[in-house]
Amino acid sequence: MLMELGGDEEVFGHFGAAASYALAARRAMHTFRTGPETWRHIAVGQRKWANLNPRAMMHDRTLNDEEYMAARWLVEPFRLFDACLVNDGGRAYVVTTAERARDLRQTPVLIMGLGQHNPSNAPQDATYLAGPTGAKVAGEKAFQMAGVTLEAVDACEIYDCFTYTVEITLQDYGFFGPGEGEDWFNGHTIEPGGRMPVNTSGGQLSEAYYMGLTPLTEGVMQLMGRCGDRQLGDKTGTKTPEIILCSDNGGILQSHACAVLRRM
Amino acid sequence: MNPDNRPFWDGCRAHELRFQKCFHCGLVRWPPATHCPACHETASEWIVSEGKGRIYTYVVYHVAYHPGFKDDLPYVVAIVELEEGPRLFTNIIGCGTEDVSCDMPVEVVWEDIHEAFTLPKFRPVP
Repeated sequence: MLMELGGDEEVFGHFGAAASYALAARRAMHTFRTGPETWRHIAVGQRKWANLNPRAMMHDRTLNDEEYMAARWLVEPFRLFDACLVNDGGRAYVVTTAERARDLRQTPVLIMGLGQHNPSNAPQDATYLAGPTGAKVAGEKAFQMAGVTLEAVDACEIYDCFTYTVEITLQDYGFFGPGEGEDWFNGHTIEPGGRMPVNTSGGQLSEAYYMGLTPLTEGVMQLMGRCGDRQLGDKTGTKTPEIILCSDNGGILQSHACAVLRRM
Repeated sequence: MNPDNRPFWDGCRAHELRFQKCFHCGLVRWPPATHCPACHETASEWIVSEGKGRIYTYVVYHVAYHPGFKDDLPYVVAIVELEEGPRLFTNIIGCGTEDVSCDMPVEVVWEDIHEAFTLPKFRPVP
């Protein structure tokens, strides 16, 4: 059987993204205070947003801390609810000039800033698994272009292939220091009614996996005011958003893109 | 296996961890390549590692993503950083999955799984 396996990793039984992100998450647990106690806030918090989103795959299924902790292991330290969903589907957005957009029927959203940073080392050579990942430089570039700081952000739509990806991305953007995530997430921070809503569709963990378009299109739709029961503002006990921060990343934390969006 | 990594796997059959070392800058590299990833020079020699290092990070598989590994569950996949510098994917054996930790010192142990194929695995240094 091993003779049929092609790679220098597969022969040791190493397959797929869950295990590689779990390697990153394990190194982070060794480097600073994090782990399932932190990630449960992300899985449970995003599920509450999905419960408000009729299009979410997990719309009808609640999740609490106990259920998160009781779920089966996939690749330790990740349990079932640390991983994104597997689904078919499609998302799209239309990009044009601000001038053209002003005349359209739909409320436009402005791209204030974009940043990209791609460390792109092979996973076994990566020294950024516990941060700073590409999110740090990408975020700095995006904020510089946008001419605003973190304090101006009203909500975040973060690429969430796994729970840990959300933590390390927000950490590298500067929302909290290494190991402060548990305290930052604790107290329903990212949930409906929270002070910093994150992944308000349920995200890839609880809505659906559309690669980088899950976070990006949700950021756009929230600023357009098209989000129904999960709409940020009075309806969900959160601030009406002017500025939303979106992220995407690829490979095993090997590429990162950040976008700062603003209501026009 | 391919022409680039064949010398490594041939070395494993002889119970030697062989890596390319750049003639120009001295980087010991993995995976094998025609050019040095640090200085881009082509000249290199093969050296033999002492087979000692530490665990950079690791995971415990509870799901077999290939049926061939079902009987091995739960098993540990780790990135081991060798003293000579290269980091490679491998398995940690010879201890319980709960006894593995990051930065733990490990040494190579050879698993002859087929007459044509030997895997370099690692175990805690006694």
